[in-house]
Amino acid sequence: MSANIESTDVVVVGGGPGGSTTATLLAKRGHRVVLLEKETFPRYQIGESLLPSTVHGIGRLLGVTEELEAASFMVKRGGSFRWGTNPVPWNFLFAVAPELSGPTSYAYQVERMKFDDILLRNAAKHGVDVRENVPVAEVIGDDERVRGVRLADGSEIHATFVVDASGNRSRIHQGVRGERIYSDFFKNIALFGYFEGGKRLPAPDSGNILCAAFDEGWMWYIPLSDTLTSVGAVISREHAAKLQGDQEQSLLGFVDRCEIVRGFLENATRVTEGTYGEIRTRKDYSYTNSTFHRPGMVLVGDAACFIDPVFSTGVHLATYAGLLAARSINTVLAGELAEDRVFEEFEGRYRREYRVFYEFLSAFYDMQSNEESYFWKARKVTNLAATDLEAFVSLVGGVHSGEQALVQDFRESSGALADAVERTGSMQTESGERMHHLFGTPVVREVMQEMNNIQVRGVQGIAAHELPLLENGLVPAADGLSWTEASR
Amino acid sequence: MTAPLSLDRLRSDVAEVLAEEPGSFADDDNLIDRGLDSIRLMSLATRWREAGFEAGYLDLAQDPTVAAWWNLLEGKR
Repeated sequence: MSANIESTDVVVVGGGPGGSTTATLLAKRGHRVVLLEKETFPRYQIGESLLPSTVHGIGRLLGVTEELEAASFMVKRGGSFRWGTNPVPWNFLFAVAPELSGPTSYAYQVERMKFDDILLRNAAKHGVDVRENVPVAEVIGDDERVRGVRLADGSEIHATFVVDASGNRSRIHQGVRGERIYSDFFKNIALFGYFEGGKRLPAPDSGNILCAAFDEGWMWYIPLSDTLTSVGAVISREHAAKLQGDQEQSLLGFVDRCEIVRGFLENATRVTEGTYGEIRTRKDYSYTNSTFHRPGMVLVGDAACFIDPVFSTGVHLATYAGLLAARSINTVLAGELAEDRVFEEFEGRYRREYRVFYEFLSAFYDMQSNEESYFWKARKVTNLAATDLEAFVSLVGGVHSGEQALVQDFRESSGALADAVERTGSMQTESGERMHHLFGTPVVREVMQEMNNIQVRGVQGIAAHELPLLENGLVPAADGLSWTEASR
Repeated sequence: MTAPLSLDRLRSDVAEVLAEEPGSFADDDNLIDRGLDSIRLMSLATRWREAGFEAGYLDLAQDPTVAAWWNLLEGKR
């Protein structure tokens, strides 16, 4: 085995948004980065609905704002939900009020083939050594730390850090010596395809994602262009067996039983050719790894954790983790702080972000009361025994309370959210344009906090000022690309 | 170190983020009409939180005038 060995500062495995973000922000500090992607871009991916912090925060840090604008992605001012007790959809808008609808109050719906390609080419432009069609076989390391990767062809790349951003099907995530723990609560599967000619919500909501609950689960309806729509059903895993048969019949059956989506697709035709012609399924189980880091290696994006798709968090969590990982690695490579200190910050912030979305998710699913439905009954927090929640959420971290207090927290979140949704009222009404009630609930406040920080960072650059997010935590350096101790 | 939170400090911080001269707007002017946007509002909230004013972005957005914010601050003391 006289393997071909090369060495670099950082190896990033995976060329999706998490990998591209990490790699670019490392290269911006002058480090040598090799990014290994097993496929050749552009390639298909699901997770098409973005949040503003990715577009206006991460996007600006990466320097892709103009390119994203030029790509003419569908503009999304928020999400519309046929969910809960209101029979009419209601809006969760990114702007707190119409008069405060500023230049960062929108996100995009993206064809991931195009979006991911823009980010990957941008990484190369910033000096990242991007190699496509290069599968990684395994991580190389010893008890002290991870020291590089071995490729499928037997050659090795040695590096001070390995970043696993290779997604939910990562083959190397166990290199951090943790295990993937699934939430018993949100073991859903998704079945999805594409349609031409579906209807749109009335302006200015025509670019919104629509999420509609029905007896067997819920459906997403994402306008990707004026005519192309991504349509998916998120259903119980117990349906998995049925989906082995005719997937088209299954998908059309769900559409037929989800009233609002059926109406929107009345005159639409399913795309049957090309990339969008396939009907696909994906396990949408919510999970988190028991650890995200060991010396020399860090997990980013779906390799680390995944949360149910209802809030469009996939790309947000991946690019956010990419930013955190790049800050951490940049700090260590500059010799400014110790590795364990910065990765404590990495893991603390990443888990906090996951936890607040998980709590939001639990409260959100709780709103959809349907005692007849197996799907909804099994996902109501208020029906749950304390232990069911405890096991997973205590692992997620950031919650130090006992079982009872924890379930109490979740119940309160759930009640407050349902109340806020009711006060907000239907979309396209005076009250439905104002998000004060929704943003005022503790769980939504927490969800928005770090996303707001990232947007301010992206827009204001070195003028942005951040307080520590965690107790005794670190703060970003002036350029936002590394960590520093908070000055007192 | 930044100055403790006084009415003058609120006025001067607002003037700074709006890139206007202090005194060019009244305490009861709606600052949204003066060009205050959500990002600038968030950065004011962060600044003042550091100085001990525990008002969030949303509290400030409810009634975006210097006078209302001063009342809010006085109420929290």
